[in-house]
Amino acid sequence: MGLWFSRLLNLFGDKEARILVLGLDNAGKTTILYRLHVGEVVQTIPTIGFNVETVTYKNIKFQVWDLGGQTSIRPYWRCYYPNTQAIIYVVDSCDVDRLPTSREEFQAILEEEELKDSVILVYANKQDLPGALSDAQVAEGLGLTSIKNRDWSIFKTSAIKGEGLFEGLDWLSNTLKSKRR
Amino acid sequence: MFSLLSGCFEFLLRKEELKVLIIGLDRAGKTTLLERLKTLYTDVPGLEADKVLPTVGLNLAHFEALGAPLLCWDVGGAAGLRGIWSKYYGECHALVFCVDAADRGRLEEAKAALDRALGDRDLYGAPLLVLCNKHDCEGAATPAEVAEALGIGKLADAGRATSVQAITAKTGEGVKPAVQWLVEHIKKSQRPELIRRRMLGA
Repeated sequence: MGLWFSRLLNLFGDKEARILVLGLDNAGKTTILYRLHVGEVVQTIPTIGFNVETVTYKNIKFQVWDLGGQTSIRPYWRCYYPNTQAIIYVVDSCDVDRLPTSREEFQAILEEEELKDSVILVYANKQDLPGALSDAQVAEGLGLTSIKNRDWSIFKTSAIKGEGLFEGLDWLSNTLKSKRR
Repeated sequence: MFSLLSGCFEFLLRKEELKVLIIGLDRAGKTTLLERLKTLYTDVPGLEADKVLPTVGLNLAHFEALGAPLLCWDVGGAAGLRGIWSKYYGECHALVFCVDAADRGRLEEAKAALDRALGDRDLYGAPLLVLCNKHDCEGAATPAEVAEALGIGKLADAGRATSVQAITAKTGEGVKPAVQWLVEHIKKSQRPELIRRRMLGA
């Protein structure tokens, strides 16, 4: 009876999805997480370890994990890979010099067996700053078009202004829903 | 050892997935078509037309039709993103060009986009299916009119199977005949062989 009831609730209630937010240090991952969670810009310090928050949007409960992006702690990302439905990969669109490094990390993520079924959402962040690369340029720089066997999408975002973030989540909730039903 | 053998066996017996690339201008209805394909051919219903958002990247659908496994790639059609189309040319077995038949004002832009695509050597020999979407709209261009506007008849590419068909992605009208045409013409074309050879050469 209890099981039946909880199933019924599940049918109408929120679905949960586990999302990892990855990217180089200083890309804006933590600012994005809190912008999504509390809707405002919070002062952040470089993350050593992780932050995790639940964001409910369009009937999906996103459990969002923001992992520290510094070189020395990137190897620990993989500890969080199992059972991940989606990756949000954040790029600092103004950091042209480190785009190749970001590409390397990104391509390594694509190779991961444990992440092979997760969908890929890229935030080309810091669009409010002058000299930011366009979405097409970031897509090219990351080698997004090498992805042929799963859904991907890229959005221009500004975590500071709060632009583009929820458009990305719209896509994510659509894509996750159509995979799950 | 057994798993190695069975793995080899599976590899040899597995049917090759036919890859179909869907391109076209933004708002032509590519993603609505993809979602309709999911609804028609899989257990998982796709999104309804009013839920579909503009694509900025890639959506895909796996399904089986007429005994053949298909993989459809639906890529974003906004002007800034058309550069990514060509990255998918090399591996696709057939090209679907989706046109908003109700928007006559953009047929010229559609022709330019199609011409650029067909000029790419990576698409050599791939069957081309032009779908005139939104056929149910009043005043929508007929397949003959679209063919004329896109210059389909003049395509000096004898090696390419080409067809122009009317569909309404929103309701699914005309979608099944389109898929049937695709499967039949991919099987008849040299394209699978061509791609296999290119992959081996690379």
